[in-house]
Amino acid sequence: MAFEFSEENRPKLENLIKCYPVKEAAMLPTLHLAQQQNGYITEEVMDCVAEVLEVSVMKVKDVVTFYPMFFEEPVGKYVIRVCHTLPCALRDCKKVLEYLKEKLGVDVAAEKDLSKGTTTDGRFTLMKSECLASCDVAPVVMVNDDLYKNLTPEKVDEILNSLEEM
Amino acid sequence: MIQEKRIIYEHLDVPDICMFDVFRQYGGYQRFEKALKELPPEEISDMVLQSGLKGRGGAGFSTGLKWSFVPRDIEPRYLCCNADESEPGTFSNRYILERIPHLLVEGILISCYALGIHSCYVYVRGEFTLGKKMLDQAIEEARSHGYLGEDILGSGFGLEIYTHPGAGAYICGEETGLIESLEGKRGQPRVKPPFPAVSGVFSKPTVVNNVETLCNIPFIVDQGIEWYTNMGVTYGDARFDPPKPDPNTGTKLYCVSGDVKDPGVYELELGLTCSELIEVAGGVKGERIKAVIPGGSSAPILTDYELDTRMDFTSLTLAKTMLGSGGIIVLNETRSIVDSLLNIMEFYAHESCGQCTPCRNGTPWVRDIVKRIATGGGRQTKIERPRFGITESGRWGDTGEIEEVYEDLELLENVANNIANVDTMTWDTICVFGIAVSWPAVSYLRKFRPEFEACIRDGKCTVLSVDEATVKPEENYAYQQRIIPQIMQG
Amino acid sequence: MAFIKLNDLELEVEDGMNIIQVAQQVGIEVPHYCFHSGLSRPANCRMCLVEPHEFFPPAGKIVPARQLATGCTTTVRTAPEDRKLDGKYDFIVRTDSPRVKQARENILEFLLIHHPLDCPVCDQAGECKLQDFSFNHGRGTSRYIEVKNIPPKKDLGPEVLLYSTRCIVCTRCIRFCDEVTGTGELGIVHRGSKNEIDIPRKHDGTPTQLLDNKLSGNVVDICPVGALKSKDFLFKSRPWFMKTVNTVCAGCSVGCNITLDFKDDGVYRLKPRYHEHINQHWMCDDGRLGYHYVNSEDRLQTPMKRVDGSLVPTSWADAFGMILEKLSAVDSESMAIVGSSQITNEENYLLRKLADQLDVGTVGIFGRNLGDEYVYPKFTIEADKNPNTRGAKDMLCQGENEVLEGEPLWTGLSGKEFVYLVNGTPERPIDETECDVLEKIGFLVVQDVLLSEVSELADIVLPGATFAEKDGCFTNSQGWVQRIRKSISAPGQAQPDWEIIQQLVKKLGGDIDYNFVGEIALEIAEKVAGYKDANHQQIGDQGILIST
Repeated sequence: MAFEFSEENRPKLENLIKCYPVKEAAMLPTLHLAQQQNGYITEEVMDCVAEVLEVSVMKVKDVVTFYPMFFEEPVGKYVIRVCHTLPCALRDCKKVLEYLKEKLGVDVAAEKDLSKGTTTDGRFTLMKSECLASCDVAPVVMVNDDLYKNLTPEKVDEILNSLEEM
Repeated sequence: MIQEKRIIYEHLDVPDICMFDVFRQYGGYQRFEKALKELPPEEISDMVLQSGLKGRGGAGFSTGLKWSFVPRDIEPRYLCCNADESEPGTFSNRYILERIPHLLVEGILISCYALGIHSCYVYVRGEFTLGKKMLDQAIEEARSHGYLGEDILGSGFGLEIYTHPGAGAYICGEETGLIESLEGKRGQPRVKPPFPAVSGVFSKPTVVNNVETLCNIPFIVDQGIEWYTNMGVTYGDARFDPPKPDPNTGTKLYCVSGDVKDPGVYELELGLTCSELIEVAGGVKGERIKAVIPGGSSAPILTDYELDTRMDFTSLTLAKTMLGSGGIIVLNETRSIVDSLLNIMEFYAHESCGQCTPCRNGTPWVRDIVKRIATGGGRQTKIERPRFGITESGRWGDTGEIEEVYEDLELLENVANNIANVDTMTWDTICVFGIAVSWPAVSYLRKFRPEFEACIRDGKCTVLSVDEATVKPEENYAYQQRIIPQIMQG
Repeated sequence: MAFIKLNDLELEVEDGMNIIQVAQQVGIEVPHYCFHSGLSRPANCRMCLVEPHEFFPPAGKIVPARQLATGCTTTVRTAPEDRKLDGKYDFIVRTDSPRVKQARENILEFLLIHHPLDCPVCDQAGECKLQDFSFNHGRGTSRYIEVKNIPPKKDLGPEVLLYSTRCIVCTRCIRFCDEVTGTGELGIVHRGSKNEIDIPRKHDGTPTQLLDNKLSGNVVDICPVGALKSKDFLFKSRPWFMKTVNTVCAGCSVGCNITLDFKDDGVYRLKPRYHEHINQHWMCDDGRLGYHYVNSEDRLQTPMKRVDGSLVPTSWADAFGMILEKLSAVDSESMAIVGSSQITNEENYLLRKLADQLDVGTVGIFGRNLGDEYVYPKFTIEADKNPNTRGAKDMLCQGENEVLEGEPLWTGLSGKEFVYLVNGTPERPIDETECDVLEKIGFLVVQDVLLSEVSELADIVLPGATFAEKDGCFTNSQGWVQRIRKSISAPGQAQPDWEIIQQLVKKLGGDIDYNFVGEIALEIAEKVAGYKDANHQQIGDQGILIST
């Protein structure tokens, strides 16, 4: 199924491209926009982006596989990134991660296999993240675009509950 | 009690300071107006140079000097603001973006005015969705008030600021990696020369400055060089006769995390000692400090008896470490140095861009060796090597004796040094990522060798007490070779 | 010109050259992988590190620079007078210092940690830079005991396989597809030590675009290790068992300079050879794979004559006898000689002699039909699929004589009693008109290498030689006269075409006696306008441009 930018996103895309003297430079924001619309980056998305930005498909694939924020597989409605770099590790992020694993009944998503970290109902994907630049409030977790600070298993429960209700 | 000296963060906690009107009430944009009306661009560049402002992103290179490398006769020129704050232990830029984005906009405005630049890209870390949103809002507000766009405030000077989202790659914080990423490619650093000042983004002259650096500019312009240089310290570079002034002026946003009672960002004048800084952050959480990482995870570690080192660019460099991005991570007596190193090496192995050979293959190798040691797989075999220490002349060097060391430790040190040599400060890699890998690896090993040896000996991750784990001062290569710079009088 | 000191040598070199090239000029090898003079310079392999020297004011003397620099990106420039080192040098560099040697050893150790060390089954063995440099600069043993990365083997396209385990990610192939062909099929997937060269694929691994451009074979040549392998050459031969000659591709009128690898039993591989003005470093896949007919089992091995409607083998004496007999019975007005843009200048020159000997009025040129033209950013494959159209014309068109080609040729040939035609290409389909004309010719002699649509209609077929089996010259479309060289011998009784023509001219009483092709070239140089210097010695390996 071919991918196309939606009516709503097309003007956004045009504005993005206008920001740069060469079209290729709009690659990252364009892929973000496409991922927002489609959930993840399929080969159809890459074809479309390549066409829009006038580059070869491989150049898009190159970029998609380089940056961890682009997903090549479907992910859950909520992507949970648990920071596990040193400052968070010192504040017991492992406990938070283990708790999340147990609670969601999934493993941590592997780089080339996100399904490992995705719940069967497709609501959550659990993944590790490198430093999220919030070491003063460690351990931290990002759920989609929102940052949750000073986590404990109790707080994880609260977060999951509030997401359940949404 | 040492007091914070808030300049950039002064109004951080003011409610709604992210709004244009509130920001303006607190002096915002008036510094830019002053610059626009009263100061010719060259004078601003000169002020920045005179202020001694050093780049806050990590390398600590003089901002004024960096600006001076940009040819003024090639159009267009670009400013890239590096807001790809990814160094573990660093989180000061996030607060600027999220809470007081207008300050960054003002800093960019003045800098671009000074440099005659008409487009600026702010490369915002992909994970900073809120920060990017706030900055975008600030830019829109500034535009609607006539502070951005063509012919700003009727001066004839025009500027556009664009935000560019990253996508989760640490290496894009390296200035040429950032430029590649900005051009829509993999964030693989470029070979220098040519430096960005000559050929940067879209092959045009480009200045890449950190958020914190740019946020200093409005205050320097507003309150003058003297006010600025009175903050911090100026050392005399003893290699020159008479000693050449080496300014470490202004304030720094120190990000303190790990085992302290009050982790957070503390804006302090440069030149305080590490212990003083930890005091400000509420002191150590736990019994005692085992080690301190002074400048983000790539900085070599400090032992507890090295905490009298001043936390500024020059002092830390002369102590064979660095201030870097100002991310201070404190480890207390319960922490395993080996395990901490493993965590950091996992990070670097994951973040290596894979472009050049030593880093691509060396970084995971170092990680694997550390992992083996930390998980009880260290080899018991020992090999001989020359012992370094204090020689008869009283200086550090080859003692002429032979010592027996665990093969894996020798391998670890050697492989790390082959990526980038920490003794000669040279690297065979394209960018400084190489040294960011080998620096921690070698320094942790050399300064906490007993703990590494214990891990191999015991076949598990053993945590020793602070005194047992740390090498003695007389065996500490960095401590023996460190130079304490002299503050210039007057 | 810059005056530099390289190790202990003082050299005068052109501005803008890099250290690898400068060193190469004086026979010093700076090992390198990612650098290729036809491509951009990412300096990612870090193998070519050298030690530049600079003036250090506090010490008041010249010292090695703190950092080693990559030889590929360090270019030599004339320094201003006040910046000269030692008062005279524009640049001082060492490629043999202990630091440099140590750095090479370190880089090689890193390069080899994931390498499968499968040289015994690797085609590249023997011409592998990883082998060569490891032998010359490596440490001999590896200290790596961790688990190796084993990325999968990949089929990239119709011509190319990728053995990812051997890949050192120098990105030469990617840059080739970006810069030379502009097709951009190749890229890197993933990051860090997990990165691999790949083509676009779906998530399940099915390719969505193949490395399928007309120049794809070049990526195999430029791969410095055994990662990219040619499907055509795969497991065919060890490089050291083959002999090599410098020759020219016969696939089209570009005239790419090539090396031809052969053994006694046939041609094994064609690879491009550098020529600044013609093909730079490259050649197309049509040319590269266009040698297979040379090795064909169906090659003509003896002369053939038509008996009761079908062609049967005969002897040279018989074939020549029949031709001479026929010639004596036909007047020169009813004869025609048709040369070929597939054969050499020397051979066409002899055909001119034959035409003069017989006083033939009708002379033409035969060759392959126009094909497709392919224009890439840095390479063009021409539409004329004959290697020597220009040379054939130059040779046959002496004096006032008109040489027929295309439509007029067929009009000119129709109704002739005797036609001597040289084909020499396996692929020359003939259309209805052409067939009609050829069928009606009283007596058709065709010189050919395989039974083709043309020779199927002949009364006598003479077995000639392919470009790989004879010496001579081609003149390409730009006017470069270049040498082709004999590698193997023509099969059976087949002979180089110039030999066949010479014998016929001799038998007709012509006063010629060439012992080797070079003698004909000398005569061409003397007699043919524009070919003044085109003797074999001067043409050499780089050719000469004819004056017009």
